Amino acid sequence: MADNIQTYYDHPQLKPAPFSWIVALYVYLAGLSGSSQMVATIADLFGGGRLRSLVRRGRYLSLVGTVIGPVLLIMDLHTPQRFYNMLRIFKATSPMSIGSYILSVFSVFSALTGGAQFIFDRAIRGPWRWIARIAQVPAAGAGGGMSVYTASLLASTSTPLWAASPGWMAVRFGSSSVASAGAALALGERWSGGRGYGRKLDALAVAALSVELYAAHLSQRDYQTKGVWGDREAAVWDSIDALGGYLPLALYTAGFFLGRRGRTLSEAASLATLVGGLAMRLAMQYAGQASASDPRTSLRFAQPENLPRAQS
Amino acid sequence: MQIHPRAREYPDSQFSRPIRDESELTAGVKIEPGKSYGFFTDTTRCIGCKACEVACKEWNALPADSVGLTGMSYDNTGGLSASTWRHVAFIEKIGHGGGRATEMAPYQSNWLMMSDVCKHCHNAPCLEACPTGALFKTEFDTVVVQQDVCNGCGYCVPACPFGVIDVNLDDGKAHKCTLCYDRLKGGFEPACAKSCPTDSIQFGELAELHRRAAERVQELHRLGVESAYLYGTPGAPGATGGLEYLNAFFLLTDAPEVYNLPRAPTRASNRVMPSLLSGLATMAGFAVAAVALFAGASRNGR
Repeated sequence: MADNIQTYYDHPQLKPAPFSWIVALYVYLAGLSGSSQMVATIADLFGGGRLRSLVRRGRYLSLVGTVIGPVLLIMDLHTPQRFYNMLRIFKATSPMSIGSYILSVFSVFSALTGGAQFIFDRAIRGPWRWIARIAQVPAAGAGGGMSVYTASLLASTSTPLWAASPGWMAVRFGSSSVASAGAALALGERWSGGRGYGRKLDALAVAALSVELYAAHLSQRDYQTKGVWGDREAAVWDSIDALGGYLPLALYTAGFFLGRRGRTLSEAASLATLVGGLAMRLAMQYAGQASASDPRTSLRFAQPENLPRAQS
Repeated sequence: MQIHPRAREYPDSQFSRPIRDESELTAGVKIEPGKSYGFFTDTTRCIGCKACEVACKEWNALPADSVGLTGMSYDNTGGLSASTWRHVAFIEKIGHGGGRATEMAPYQSNWLMMSDVCKHCHNAPCLEACPTGALFKTEFDTVVVQQDVCNGCGYCVPACPFGVIDVNLDDGKAHKCTLCYDRLKGGFEPACAKSCPTDSIQFGELAELHRRAAERVQELHRLGVESAYLYGTPGAPGATGGLEYLNAFFLLTDAPEVYNLPRAPTRASNRVMPSLLSGLATMAGFAVAAVALFAGASRNGR
């Protein structure tokens, strides 16, 4: 590792992504609603008809990403009136292009599923339930994509922090999305007075949070070996791990052992999971932009020992 | 450089119309679609006059940046931006490492000067990242943003491993050096290369530039500048990580980092599949877990 790298008067060597907090919020909501659709669809297909309320809530929750997602993305364009150029071509080398199509498919089929569910809930006669059941399958597939393509979007750049650990960042984003969906749906279940499936959703969230923490640990190892790690990064990621990982896990565990009396703790765990997911996306975006603006980090990252072995 | 025989056809000092294939007279190369063109920037010839910066701004009608002094050397430009497509870097070698230099290296005394520019990468990460197709490869093998297509998503900005392309917040589009696409179409040498008084910036066909650059390195080695090397030619620093080669390449005499250049840049699109596939595998795993969880719910719930 080449330490003490000379810089050009400390002038930045890279330009940070011109993304505002809106993008981090989109990344979070895309994961939340995409994973909700996936969870709802699996609950509908494999739940044996016992999870109707969960399915309904999951379908409505996925409308958040469907409705707000595109608005947020268009807001962050610097020439928003040309948003439709996103679908002008398809480019497999660009996660921004891949994601535009994932979002389009997700939006169309989630809207169909949620719309049909809405009409069905109003007891209007028609094949609404079956429209939802069919449309939910492509929506759920695209929902899986919505949960993780945003990691590919950040990783496929020259921004040191994002580029240093592409695979583990995707695992982190995916598991954080599943945890958020589990937490949000569990809250919906408990706050509406249902007492059936909160525990199952808690279990899903606990599994997802554990995977997320493990992936975070492995990505930090990548950051260290690739020279994009310092005191500032350590402080940021330790707080993120604590807030969005260890705190909800502890609350879930306590809530589980207290049984019925632990309901408030389980709710607090769900809330911490949701807040932690958003905090993780914000931290990833801002810490990434800071790593691009710091010439020591970017020049240290762009050293031959960090090249993929096949291409060095 | 010898004077082209066709130059005798134009003895006037003022012209009423453009000279046909003018680049033949000024750069010794005819510009034809389908061939690869680029810049060879020989930093040992740079005198830091910034004529390239001015010519670029003039021809491309680019606005002035902040008019002020940076307080760091003679470089008051700072770096490339949406409205600055050539940038002359100044590195003073005196006083580096705590002590004063007591001897002068051949060429440039103790100043390093380099006119930086968009590298027009062979596998350009900005182009590969662009979701609208606004960025494209021209018939001259250069990389250009189509201003009437760009919607200002800004994804090309972090994709560039050299920190070149940027979004102008005034017009909301991405901008960078076009290698004077409009001039090439008219048979003119790019403005910066034409204005360069020392031929530090040379425009030409890439193969010819590679040949000329290799010769120049040998010549410099012979003259005692053993530190001279190429940046951005196939297999050299700057052409790493799947970029293959840079159509705008450089002759340097110090470490790339000294000029604010990355030693081993990478092609961002190589990370698309690893990240996407590991993400989708994660989701597949959670889908299986959810199936087990909910199928269990239906059995136990009854």
